[in-house]
Amino acid sequence: MNTQILEIKNLVKTYGSGKTQTTAVKDISLSIPRGSFYGLLGPNGAGKSTTIHCITGIAQPTSGTILIDGVDVVKDYKLARTKVGLSPQEFNVDIFATPEQLMGYMAGYYGIKKEVRDARVDELIKQFDLEKHRKMKFQKLSGGLKRRAMLGRALVHTPDLLILDEPTAGVDVEQRHDLWQYLKKLNEGGKTIILTSHYLEEIQYLCNEIAIINHGKIVAQGTKEEFMSGGKSVEDRYLEITRNDNERNKK
Amino acid sequence: MHINWIGLYTMFRREVERTFRVVIQTLVAPVISATLYLFIFGTVIGTKIEDFAGVPYISFVFPGVLMLSIINASFASASSSLYFMRFTKGIEEILISPFSYLEMLIGFVGSAVTRALLVAGLILVTGLLFGAVSLVNPVGFVLYVAAISAIFAMLGIIVALWAESFEQLQVLNTFVITPLTYLGGIFYSITFLPPLAATITKLNPFFYFADGIRCSMIGYSEANSIVGFLVIAGLVLGLGILVTQLFNRGWKIRS
Repeated sequence: MNTQILEIKNLVKTYGSGKTQTTAVKDISLSIPRGSFYGLLGPNGAGKSTTIHCITGIAQPTSGTILIDGVDVVKDYKLARTKVGLSPQEFNVDIFATPEQLMGYMAGYYGIKKEVRDARVDELIKQFDLEKHRKMKFQKLSGGLKRRAMLGRALVHTPDLLILDEPTAGVDVEQRHDLWQYLKKLNEGGKTIILTSHYLEEIQYLCNEIAIINHGKIVAQGTKEEFMSGGKSVEDRYLEITRNDNERNKK
Repeated sequence: MHINWIGLYTMFRREVERTFRVVIQTLVAPVISATLYLFIFGTVIGTKIEDFAGVPYISFVFPGVLMLSIINASFASASSSLYFMRFTKGIEEILISPFSYLEMLIGFVGSAVTRALLVAGLILVTGLLFGAVSLVNPVGFVLYVAAISAIFAMLGIIVALWAESFEQLQVLNTFVITPLTYLGGIFYSITFLPPLAATITKLNPFFYFADGIRCSMIGYSEANSIVGFLVIAGLVLGLGILVTQLFNRGWKIRS
């Protein structure tokens, strides 16, 4: 078993061509240990979501390699996709489907047999307190319930790596804390989680390793303790690092 | 090569569920249209026309009416389903799932063909009520229906990938599919046409679609069957390769 669940080497992603060409990710390398709760921080447009899209297959890397549990996401994409679950920032769902259907369809796409699939969906519906809403259309659910349904969908095939892109965006404080407890429990159960969030107290509370992406590059990487050395909060350190980097880029 | 059969079955099942979710649009509307065509062209006008090719006029036009419904069902199913998935980003569910590009093709095309077969079944029942159905070659009939549905499903996929608005989604249907269908001899024999018009009709691939289904139903053909086979097989193969390549490149769906 690989000790690193995710290894990214020299990832570059460009969009467009000629004068309209933009490079969203510029030579990123990352290693994420199995079992960690990894925070991926950065301002809007820094390259976080693009990196996640390259890992999950929503975007095609321009160059570089990405290995999930040692499996190349481009060369052996079918196997690689079974190892990762994604709860995206935007609700990329059929809004007329119910949480139960969303999880069931996704399990089917992953090739899970009906008896196993039904049991797994029941288990997740229970785990995320969605029993009362399992047959309600997605569009009728509250923000917090929608996020829980997305989490259930991301976990339905029991992936080794769970990626959460802004999982608490638009969720009220109480429901956000409930989600934190779910996530903490999942990680304690051995699930590797990558989390991106603009709520830095969330990163500080949940993550044990952190990387900051700015202008398409990793500008800082380390354990939470390293980030918080000198009695600083993750937010203080984040602002310090990104402001310094922005100054360097201006020069 | 490991095929994700359960994943493909899930795609088909989801399309069938979607079909029944909007049953008036997907199943009732084509049956009403077909009923009107059969009543007007078969019962009202057809009874004033002598038998043609050894069958009543209603039996002569029925294969064309059926083809029209199949084309509309498969094209609408594939184009609306995929465009809606692009619009809502639901396509990402498929992109992150373990489907090969060929499986994506089979999944989308198979789903649209499934809906077209449901519609075809209902139209056949309607045709039976009008006494318009005969079936001289059931195997050929199923093959023609499946191949024609697949062709229009793949055209629907291409349009769904290309379109940037709901209006653009209708462009091919309005300006190409509908005119070529009506000019492909679904309501008339090309022997009714002047020689030049008959020759031009033979350049219309829709003529071979209608002729193939008609031949399998009433045993009467006006087209060269080898040319018809080559046209249909060529389109299935060519469009299949093109759509697989588009999925492989992630055109308009994978950034």
